[in-house]
Amino acid sequence: MSSPAQLETKAQVAEIGDKYKYGFVTDIEMDMAPKGLSEETVRFISAKKNEPEWMLEWRLAAFRRWLSMKEPKWARVHYPQIDFQDAYYYAAPKNNPLKQSLNEVDPKLLETYNKLGIPLNEQMALAGVAVDAVFDSVSVATTFKEKLNEAGVIFCPFSEAIRDHPDLVKKYLGTVVPVTDNYYATLNSAVFSDGTFVFVPKGVRCPMELSTYFRINASETGQFERTLIIADADSFVSYLEGCTAPKRDENQLHAAVVELVALDHAEIKYSTVQNWYPGDENGKGGIYNFVTKRGDCRGDHSKISWTQVETGSAITWKYPSCILRGDHSVGEFYSIAIANNYQQADTGTKMIHLGANTKSRIISKGISAGKAQNTYRGLVSIYGKAKNARNYTQCDSLLIGGNCGAHTVPYIESRNPTARIEHEATTSKIAEDQLFYCLQRGIPQDEAVSLIVNGFCKEVLQQLPMEFAVEAQKLVGISLEGSVG
Amino acid sequence: MSAALAKRRDEARMIFEGRGIPTRRAEEWKYSDLKSALGEAGLGQEAAATRIMGLPQGLEFADLADPNAPAWVSQHLGTLARNAVSEASLAFADGGLALRVPAGQAIAIPLALELSGAGHLRLLLVLEAGASLSLFETGDTAAPRNAGIEIVLGEGAALDHVRLTRPVPGVQVEEIALSLAAKARYSAHFASFGGKLSRLELTIALEGEGAEAHLSGVSVLGGEAHADITTHIIHRKGNTHSTQLFKKVAGGKGRAVYQGRVTVAKGADGADSRQTAKALLLSETAEADLKPELEIFADDVKCAHGAAIGDLDGDSLFYLRARGIPEADARALLIHAFLEDALTNITRDDVRGMVRNAVGHALAALL
Repeated sequence: MSSPAQLETKAQVAEIGDKYKYGFVTDIEMDMAPKGLSEETVRFISAKKNEPEWMLEWRLAAFRRWLSMKEPKWARVHYPQIDFQDAYYYAAPKNNPLKQSLNEVDPKLLETYNKLGIPLNEQMALAGVAVDAVFDSVSVATTFKEKLNEAGVIFCPFSEAIRDHPDLVKKYLGTVVPVTDNYYATLNSAVFSDGTFVFVPKGVRCPMELSTYFRINASETGQFERTLIIADADSFVSYLEGCTAPKRDENQLHAAVVELVALDHAEIKYSTVQNWYPGDENGKGGIYNFVTKRGDCRGDHSKISWTQVETGSAITWKYPSCILRGDHSVGEFYSIAIANNYQQADTGTKMIHLGANTKSRIISKGISAGKAQNTYRGLVSIYGKAKNARNYTQCDSLLIGGNCGAHTVPYIESRNPTARIEHEATTSKIAEDQLFYCLQRGIPQDEAVSLIVNGFCKEVLQQLPMEFAVEAQKLVGISLEGSVG
Repeated sequence: MSAALAKRRDEARMIFEGRGIPTRRAEEWKYSDLKSALGEAGLGQEAAATRIMGLPQGLEFADLADPNAPAWVSQHLGTLARNAVSEASLAFADGGLALRVPAGQAIAIPLALELSGAGHLRLLLVLEAGASLSLFETGDTAAPRNAGIEIVLGEGAALDHVRLTRPVPGVQVEEIALSLAAKARYSAHFASFGGKLSRLELTIALEGEGAEAHLSGVSVLGGEAHADITTHIIHRKGNTHSTQLFKKVAGGKGRAVYQGRVTVAKGADGADSRQTAKALLLSETAEADLKPELEIFADDVKCAHGAAIGDLDGDSLFYLRARGIPEADARALLIHAFLEDALTNITRDDVRGMVRNAVGHALAALL
């Protein structure tokens, strides 16, 4: 039943096994922007990437706007003031010319990928997944390009899209998350290093799952990814995003922006497994993850589905949202957020119902352990023209131990009498009888916790593509090791 | 006035003047822009009044303006949680009432209380250990009015509170802050028909083991009425229990708001909280905003909330019509039934009858 690719995925996941093993740093010469943030930094990045004038202007406008903005403070996360001048905004592997084949790629890079479990050499066999691997800020290898070309799908690094498809980029960039949207999105607009661009033409069902592995490597380098996915009428695309980062003491800032556009009858499925370094048991280090993700169901009968498994990062500030503009459009949000030790997660979604007969569904599972704080923050808003709109929301929290916190902050707004919104939330702990039952049958405590928590998360895990589901289940267990007893 | 109380009032004045009247930019006032509803005139510094209709036997009372008020008044007045507007009522209200039920006293006759006039007023109600009282609160339509009420329940004390207000053309805000000792019980129902801006905010601290708070309410809003009920229940100790059930119907350009936060403090094991808010919209221009919030710092708890906004159930409507009931009557019947659910919480039959009557009138005007 299992293909070699699936077996391999399983083997890799088994290797992740015992503990967070990505705590290593690859020693590759970096091409750095000078430390600090100024117009010069922005110009440097733009010049490094050989960008056209319009792109530079766009970045500069964002930067000037950013200078006048204030850092948002409303989320339930606490961290020391970030010194934006004390970081590097651009780092690229030195050997940068585009490669024709994997053989030309720096062997040290390949080694890093292997430790990460992304065997570029084996990708052809890996369950039909094309990988556009991002090493720090520059994409170094893209495969399966030919097959995608045949279908007419554009799947390339963002910098390449600016060069080769400027009209598409100009038409859609910043139309879902405007430059002025929020502090971190504006910062990203000014200094984004690279990212992924996907365009699926009319009537095309993307022949494979698209996947990008993000990787933060250089010390003190924030990573500012930019992703733009456009699904033209009647098309379908499934996109997978997974993340790991090496162990570092200093907090690293990550402020990504993801924009999705679905036109008439198009569907985008976006899945994320995020297991960046969460800091140690004492809350030292870890990634700051301030992400703006938004999808625009611009066309009638379009659909955008977000699935996320958030286990890493010291601080998560992330609200993948859907603007249901087209009539009969559908938005979905499936989320697992695990916070252990001193992690803080403030995550949720917004479903903005503008069109008639729009539907949305939110399933959120929050798990808190150790001294962590986990918050679901969401908005469901039905506008006057959203006749017969429907929403169903379920937010469940699981607490492990008496020193953590689980919070739910849903906003529910309706301005249409024919709309129906339902919201339910519960808070519970791991039932002692369940744990006892497992222990009594010889299942060790950690495994039992993993089993019970996986059961709690089942509805969300089911939404993940197979390649991710295996890894995610394992991660759920790893993230909570030692949290009970 | 004792020196301690004078100091509290001075502090309140300073805090209020520092913060000013809240606008919708303050997150808790997002759905109720008090500053723009009040306009230039603001809240003013006039004093409104509290009137009681007959003093049941066993109840002690003091005038807050009386410089020789008994010690229990200054002991409690201004000591409970305050929000932006109750800072103002503490600072500016010149008079008001203080009521006390001595330990172990059960007052059989309900106390009828009316808030009247425009301006600020203050009310302090102290139920000592084991005391019990039933309070029926009404108010006239004078506006703007800012009422600050403090209720202190001693160990095992029980207060039954029903608030029935009339539709108000202006702005009325009321903040009720409660503190409950072990095994104390507060049961309350709030019937509201809105105002230009009407807001009731409750802050309930369950300070002792086994304390309980049970809240329910109905709102029927038409015209341009706005009614905001905001609650914050804090489970500070273990085995505390709270329930909330709020039902709202909005037609015309009515706007129904419910914000409810439940906090369970660290170590408050065995806390149990249920929270339900439902709204029915009857017109294209009505709006409902619900925000049921949980803030949990203990693991051995049972907390749940549910919220729903929607239309009448199509199947129920069909069932009634299939039995020959005209659509308008069937709708009215279902809306009454929707609200009735929240009225069952009112224990006294006579009081429930009065509330039901008021609801009936408001619905008749709306349908």
